Amino acid sequence: MSQLSLKRLEKSFNEARIIKGIDLDVSEGEFVVFVGPSGCGKSTLLRMIAGLEEVSEGEIEIGGKVVNDLPPVQRGIAMVFQSYALYPHMTVYENIAFPLRVEKLGQAEVDKRVGAAAKVLQLESRLQHRPGQLSGGQRQRVAIGRAIVRQPKIFLFDEPLSNLDAALRSEMRIELMELHKRLGSTMIYVTHDQIEAMTMADKIVVLNAGEIAQVGSPLELYHKPDNLFVAGFIGSPKMNFINGKVRSADGATVTVDLGALGTLALPRASTAVAGQDVTIGIRPEHMRLDGGEFSLEITPTIVEHLGIHTIAYAILPGGENFIGLFEGNPTIEDAKPLRIGFSIADAHLFDAKGLAV
Amino acid sequence: MSDVARTTEIAAVDSPSSVKPRRKARSSKPMIERYRWYEILGLYAGIALFLFFVLAPFIEGFLVSLKPLSQLFSTPYSFIPRNGSFDAYFTMWSTVEGLGRYIFNSLFISAVVTLAVIVIVVPAAYAFARFSFAGAGAMLGGFLAVNMFSGAVLLIPLYRLLRSFGLLNSYWAMIVPGIAFLIPSSIWLLRTYMLRIPRELDEAAWVDGASRLYTLRRIILPLAMPGIVVVAIMTFIGAYAQQFIFALTFNSRQEFMPLPVGLFAFFGRQEVLWNELMAASFAGILPVMVVIVFLQRYLVAGLTAGAIKQ
Repeated sequence: MSQLSLKRLEKSFNEARIIKGIDLDVSEGEFVVFVGPSGCGKSTLLRMIAGLEEVSEGEIEIGGKVVNDLPPVQRGIAMVFQSYALYPHMTVYENIAFPLRVEKLGQAEVDKRVGAAAKVLQLESRLQHRPGQLSGGQRQRVAIGRAIVRQPKIFLFDEPLSNLDAALRSEMRIELMELHKRLGSTMIYVTHDQIEAMTMADKIVVLNAGEIAQVGSPLELYHKPDNLFVAGFIGSPKMNFINGKVRSADGATVTVDLGALGTLALPRASTAVAGQDVTIGIRPEHMRLDGGEFSLEITPTIVEHLGIHTIAYAILPGGENFIGLFEGNPTIEDAKPLRIGFSIADAHLFDAKGLAV
Repeated sequence: MSDVARTTEIAAVDSPSSVKPRRKARSSKPMIERYRWYEILGLYAGIALFLFFVLAPFIEGFLVSLKPLSQLFSTPYSFIPRNGSFDAYFTMWSTVEGLGRYIFNSLFISAVVTLAVIVIVVPAAYAFARFSFAGAGAMLGGFLAVNMFSGAVLLIPLYRLLRSFGLLNSYWAMIVPGIAFLIPSSIWLLRTYMLRIPRELDEAAWVDGASRLYTLRRIILPLAMPGIVVVAIMTFIGAYAQQFIFALTFNSRQEFMPLPVGLFAFFGRQEVLWNELMAASFAGILPVMVVIVFLQRYLVAGLTAGAIKQ
């Protein structure tokens, strides 16, 4: 049974429609990540679930009950804010205890719950400090602690790692995943960082301009993007797109004319794409130096040597940017033409509307 | 780089031969705060000029309070008191019997005004900082407009108003208009301060089930305390300064008079006791000065503080 479900959810600020009809089901214990570029409405969506923004149309159900008009505290959610929103004048203990103080719980119970949260988050030695004396990661943990003590059904995270530096971010990512395992509660996590989404999520919801572009597991999104937007958003470096025109589509094979690069035949059943302007997508990491079923020549303008990978940037004859990512440290040099290839199975085909074929 | 190489490099840096004999750094200040001697001289000269301009009346007032009365009317006039003394500070209490009462009245009126303003302004400023409601902008604009009228322009309507409420010739005659004129600027001041408190703190408290009033009491009030202290100081000074005109117009009862009006008692039938009058003025300002010296730490911090650091 789904624990949280959104039904035709919409949000408008005056004339502007920010969320344009979202349907989503989240089951108990899932780690769901909302990901999308800035301004896609992901934070607004989270704040609607939290009860900080009003719902313009549609319904939010939590545990089978419509919560549209309930204040946050009655929805059984807890939220961790991007800036952590710690109270600077209170100790860590009082920060974590805040929701319990609001509930007017007895001191013994407060002690017990704060102690338990502090233990989980390794904050025991910090309870008497003020937030200002803590490092970024510790502040983050205090904010999570404040969410834990209420024992909510659903945790909401609004870009919680975006204020941390890169090293700390990957550390906290792992801590959050461990926490999710230990608590087993539903977590909804908003980020603009697709790597966070890929590494943490059970289910990723890719949002684009207030609509769901695709919902799926990280690997589904990676291997079978529904559309150009998801294909370009998931994966780093970005998927390469090559413009082409369909020469023929006979129900078994679609043959695409790629101009100066030649023609590419893909096994697709669709006949509707015949004659359309289409886009071929191929991930940089699927490019190979040792042949492949389709090959093309590029002249790298910039080469990055990362030790584990080597990345070559080039411009195709059609004007598209092209990136190739190769294992290890092959000899690739600037301005030296290079023949690379890929397997037909790794190529993606998108029709004129940008939908996967 | 190998460890050996690194060690030798450090050694090379440390060895005296590689350190050029340089002139000792003159100051540890960052470059942007360093000035040439004539720039510093100019800065201090400028400050001295302004300070003199502002403080000259006080200096002269203080010097007058030290002189015997006869010396005040001597020609040629001498600014520096000859055989000056603090006698006036002692004799004034017996010359004007009610002086202590006047000073108390001044402080009392200002204190009540300050207290009332804080009680009214804190929730008002919170509302203006956090809620968007119809007419908020217009009301804020209105507050500014009120500030453009000096109390003196409104004396006659105020008189009629106070008379119909039956408040003339009481402490209220000075307290009520004092509060009314000081609230607008205080709301502006405190609202600006509260706007700097991140809204996410309110939202976090709201998500955790706190009511608006609970949030105001537990979160906003403690964080806005420096701002509230600033408002209190400004209000106190404002109330102290403006009570003269209200007292003069709306009150004729001697026992309620604040110091600025009470000073008229030094105007005798024969002569004006200028030295005692000045001494009484200073005695009246003194308590306020002491308070400000103690609170100026907050004043500076509150007026200049940036966003609340988390």
